[in-house]
Amino acid sequence: MYELSQYAFVAAFAALAAALLLYLVNVLGARGLQVLSVSGGGSVSMPAFGPILDTAGRYGTILTVNAFAFLTASLVFRAIAAGHGPFSNMYEFSLAFSWGALGLFLYFQAQYKLRTLALMVLPVALGLLAYATTVPSDITPLVPALQNDLLLTVHVAVAIIAYGAFAIAFGAAVLFLIQRRDSIRWLPKKVLLDEIGYKAVMVGFPMMALVIILGALWADIAWGTYWSWDPKETASLVTWLLYGAYLHARVLRGWRGERSAALLILGFGATLFTYYGNLFFGGLHSYG
Amino acid sequence: METPGSFSAADRGNVLPTVASGGAGARGGIWEFEIVGRIWRFFTSVRLALVLILILTAAVLVGTLLDQIPPSVLSDPSAHAQWLERAKTKYGFWTDVLDFSGMFNVFHGLWFRVIIGLLTVNIIVCTLNRWKGIWATVFPPRVRMSDTFFQHARYNATFAAPMTLPVAAERVKRSLRRSRYRVRTEGNDDSVAIYADRNRFSRFGTFLAHLSIVMILAGTVVGGMWGFSDSEFVVAEGATRALGLGTNISVGLEHFTDEYYLEGPPKDFRSEIVIYEGGKEVKRGTTRVNSPVKYKGIRFHQSFFGQAAVMEVKDAAGTELFSAAVPLAWETREGSRPIGSFDLPDQGLTAYVIGPRSGENDPLVPAGEMRVEVYRRDGGALVTADNLSQGTAKQVAELDFTFARESRFTGLRVVKDPGTNIIWVASALMVIGLVMLFYFPHRRLWALCKRRPDGSAEVRLGMTAQRDMSLESEFGRLRQRVASALRGTKGGRTSAQGDDDV
Repeated sequence: MYELSQYAFVAAFAALAAALLLYLVNVLGARGLQVLSVSGGGSVSMPAFGPILDTAGRYGTILTVNAFAFLTASLVFRAIAAGHGPFSNMYEFSLAFSWGALGLFLYFQAQYKLRTLALMVLPVALGLLAYATTVPSDITPLVPALQNDLLLTVHVAVAIIAYGAFAIAFGAAVLFLIQRRDSIRWLPKKVLLDEIGYKAVMVGFPMMALVIILGALWADIAWGTYWSWDPKETASLVTWLLYGAYLHARVLRGWRGERSAALLILGFGATLFTYYGNLFFGGLHSYG
Repeated sequence: METPGSFSAADRGNVLPTVASGGAGARGGIWEFEIVGRIWRFFTSVRLALVLILILTAAVLVGTLLDQIPPSVLSDPSAHAQWLERAKTKYGFWTDVLDFSGMFNVFHGLWFRVIIGLLTVNIIVCTLNRWKGIWATVFPPRVRMSDTFFQHARYNATFAAPMTLPVAAERVKRSLRRSRYRVRTEGNDDSVAIYADRNRFSRFGTFLAHLSIVMILAGTVVGGMWGFSDSEFVVAEGATRALGLGTNISVGLEHFTDEYYLEGPPKDFRSEIVIYEGGKEVKRGTTRVNSPVKYKGIRFHQSFFGQAAVMEVKDAAGTELFSAAVPLAWETREGSRPIGSFDLPDQGLTAYVIGPRSGENDPLVPAGEMRVEVYRRDGGALVTADNLSQGTAKQVAELDFTFARESRFTGLRVVKDPGTNIIWVASALMVIGLVMLFYFPHRRLWALCKRRPDGSAEVRLGMTAQRDMSLESEFGRLRQRVASALRGTKGGRTSAQGDDDV
């Protein structure tokens, strides 16, 4: 089972890298066509390229779906091999985070038919997988603090959805900042990017609240204190507050545009800090 | 663009409570109300919340990047000074500045609490300020809107329906219901007005969520006032210790076990404990990480463990003065050796038991031995100090001391926190509120069906803009449903006006 999990991981990695490449061809190729047709004054028409680029994009999506399936398989095999949810060390967290980002990406892509988002989200997912190759992938037995199957599974599973949603919001925000005054035709319109960012936070924010609450509940059961300003606890609270600030600025003040996109990027920075902060600061949460 | 029932006015902070706008005739004079009004306005500012959250973010960053003084050290001036001495090697000149400004004690410091307090007041005031506006969007909705409303609505559409007015109105209602909208109508012979909405309680989610934050803070206050905790309750195997903290409870440890996986990491820590109240055994159980023993709302959590030394003391006549396991749960300041102590009250002495430093050859306390240092209880003068090897009695301070054998102690965290129930209820409200608010957003649509001179009908749809997001796709879906319900019409004129509310 452990070997199967490793094979599936490699397959997911390869599929994801290829998917990113195809998406790049699709999007940058479209950009190239746009530049060519402008500079060529329309006289140089390349009708053959359009369909090829479209095919590249379609296969990009198919490969992403495959990568997602392989990653799912890898996590399932690993869970079977370990006898508990695959959420107990940095290797497993990273796979799970990547899985969440991909899942949410596929959901948003299905909703908005927007391949460009892949340019921002897939590198994040791929980066997480690349990071996973640098940490030990051994299956580690559960230390006493983690021996709570229900909370381990739910707490981390919810975290993955929240972090995945924030990764989408980050991707949309970066594209939003690149897309100045809707002048770049191969990028989605600003209004759409703004909406995607907001929708992603609408998905992620309640989930993040649930993550923190379940974490507090677990801390109360395991350590007898629901809150101890542990670095990970605190960072997750700040992350949540930042997204809370984003939502309030938007709903009450009508903040859209650059400022709220910047908040989304800051929020994702805080998300990553929450995720990896315990590597640098130790604390109660330092497993793996 | 404003419609009756739209909640923008309240959001902008224009709605002051009656006390602030009560003004002239009131007893306190206009000036006082001016002050109250200003303070109120100050706290209605969402910008204030943003600033406070950013300050908190910075504080947290400081609190995680800089070493923090543990609370136990903070309460002891000499330990505090020592901690600062050690910090000087790391932070040098800045140590005093950082200490003075509270940077070594961010989370328990005054200014952190002040910011949290301000944020709480900010949340409460903002929430109260929005109540009226949100209430107005939900109850009671205005069903009939004017023609101008439909002309100016951000999203609007007009259809000509080749059917009688009642049929057209019925079809519009049916298609809206099929989109899971709740429909209300007001009709007369010439026209039928329709108001349709979905998830109308969604916006109350915001009150649940904000209320829950205040409840959580209240929960921490309740816990602080009526709860207690001892995070370092230490008891050695075979011993029983009074809990104190205003209770009549004592705890005995029968046995402590630690297990490890073959690979090395710990597998299980567990303590078999007995709880006595008023000297009578009332409960017995095994406490382990993730499953504490509970008695009368007090929880006993497995927290840490360590080495203990079973000590026996007899006087010259052979009378036993002391015989128990002494937990070596602390560390000596110099040399970092495990240390514990026990009292001999009749002799007016306190004996400190010091174990060998682990993992190396300790010149002061060789492995397998215990060092005993006996001090006077009044004045604290050292009487004598000596090393004991296991099993052999030795005379120290005119008494016979024996280090009988090694043993173990368990460290429990004992907690009573009546505030946690409030916190879990609040947490549930928070999640319910946020899910209502974000997963089931409130949507409203108005329609007006009119009889035309030729007997056919005209149907207009209108949706007002929402500040947080575009309703283009939602309106598009509804428009299509209505259009196909009024089949025979040619699509209708529709328009969605451009972004104008940013």
